[in-house]
Amino acid sequence: MENGVIIADVVFQLGPIQITNTVVTTWVIMGAIAVFSWLLTRRLQIQPGWVQTAAEGVVSTIEESIRGIAPRYVDHLLPFVGTLWLFLIIANLSGLIPGVHSPTRDLSATSALAILVFLSVHWFGIRTQGVKSYLRHYLKPSPIMLPFHIISEITRTIALAVRLFGNMMSLEMTALLILLVAGFLAPIPILMLHIIEALVQAYIFGLLALIYVAGGLQSQQLTQQKHNEKTEE
Amino acid sequence: MLTLPPNPHPFDSFTASIETTVEKAYTGDTILELNWSTFILEIINFLILIWILKHFFYKPVLDVIARRRAGIEKTIEEASSLHSEAEALQKQYESRLTEWHQERQAARKVLEEEIQGERERQMSALQTTLEEERKKSRFAAQRQLQASQLQNEKTALRQGAQFATKLLSAVSCPELENRLIDLFLADFSSLSAEHLSKLQDAAGNSPEHILITSAHPLESNRRQSLEHALSRILSVNVNGHVRYKQDKALLAGIRINAGAWILRANLLDELKGFTDFAHEI
Repeated sequence: MENGVIIADVVFQLGPIQITNTVVTTWVIMGAIAVFSWLLTRRLQIQPGWVQTAAEGVVSTIEESIRGIAPRYVDHLLPFVGTLWLFLIIANLSGLIPGVHSPTRDLSATSALAILVFLSVHWFGIRTQGVKSYLRHYLKPSPIMLPFHIISEITRTIALAVRLFGNMMSLEMTALLILLVAGFLAPIPILMLHIIEALVQAYIFGLLALIYVAGGLQSQQLTQQKHNEKTEE
Repeated sequence: MLTLPPNPHPFDSFTASIETTVEKAYTGDTILELNWSTFILEIINFLILIWILKHFFYKPVLDVIARRRAGIEKTIEEASSLHSEAEALQKQYESRLTEWHQERQAARKVLEEEIQGERERQMSALQTTLEEERKKSRFAAQRQLQASQLQNEKTALRQGAQFATKLLSAVSCPELENRLIDLFLADFSSLSAEHLSKLQDAAGNSPEHILITSAHPLESNRRQSLEHALSRILSVNVNGHVRYKQDKALLAGIRINAGAWILRANLLDELKGFTDFAHEI
């Protein structure tokens, strides 16, 4: 661990694969989530306790948020978008634990998530509309718009990755700088800001992902709707 | 002499690490470096996490929410069904109540009509009874009045007879008797042929049985006029055959007995007839 405070450090190596502390932290978070889920859902009851009520509230809130944007595809989008939100909240907040660094302060992790969002947009779009119908929306309203659509796809994916990475990395770096300059316990106020920022960034990432995926899902639908309106007129 | 190297403060290495990191961050050498192993492993991790959460979190939680929702909907349906049944029962009871009310009204109307009819019938019977009683009463009163009048008449007649008897007894005299004889003779002359015939049959065969009773002694000329009148009427000569008798009880006047016939022309018989008339009433 040469300089693992900000930059991901390689913990160990499996052949050509480097296992960084980002991956290890992600595994820990995954394990915690899996154990918590198993313990929680082992004895679900019709009359819920407070933990079950909270879990149901989380799932219902995610479901309602998706329903507000893509009401027809709640069942399809819930696992992906809900996992994004839950993982990002926990991953962002994990940086508050002493000795643990948030995986989202690593550009590799945020890029991976952004790439997954990018791929999900096309996956859900093609799955629901077919390849031709989905790809045709890149030519709408005019084929001239194709390069702009492509640039938009790439830039928004990069923006998604860099936004989360930049915010989380800068928060940790700010805390470190204050610690360096002002001493021990001085960064506590900035850590409080860290909580808010972690929640906001997780929400923004998940919401943008939901909007992108819903946009891909409904692009053909909107085109068809406009066509129907013109026909009616 | 052994000299130990100075013991570095633990915080010094941490500070040095931060300084190095910040320096690298500013230069941008490592901080924006993409670790492909991490990149691929994070993708795989996230996909695994999706699977874990889908199977161990979302699905069970959504299932229990759906079960609860189904239970609530079932309860709502049952409540709605019960509500509908209750409304139907309420409508049924209201309808039955309305029918009962109408039946009660009809029964009451029938009963009132029966009572009215019975009342009218009883009133009519009572009126009839009253009318009959009134008639009986009126008839009884009338009869009582008649009886009273009759009694009064009898009393009046009796008292009149007594009064007349007293009065005539006081005024009785031969002149009155002569006057009565004159009246007798006048009436005797005007008898009908039928009466005369019957009188002739009764007295003509035995004129000796003719008896003339008077209250006062009759003078001879009076006797002759009587015999003459009798002879003329009876077409039989009765002169010298008539017997005479005096009876003060006659008060005034005469009484002629001719066989079964009795001719009365005196106050006693008149008064007696007056009294008999009162008794006959």
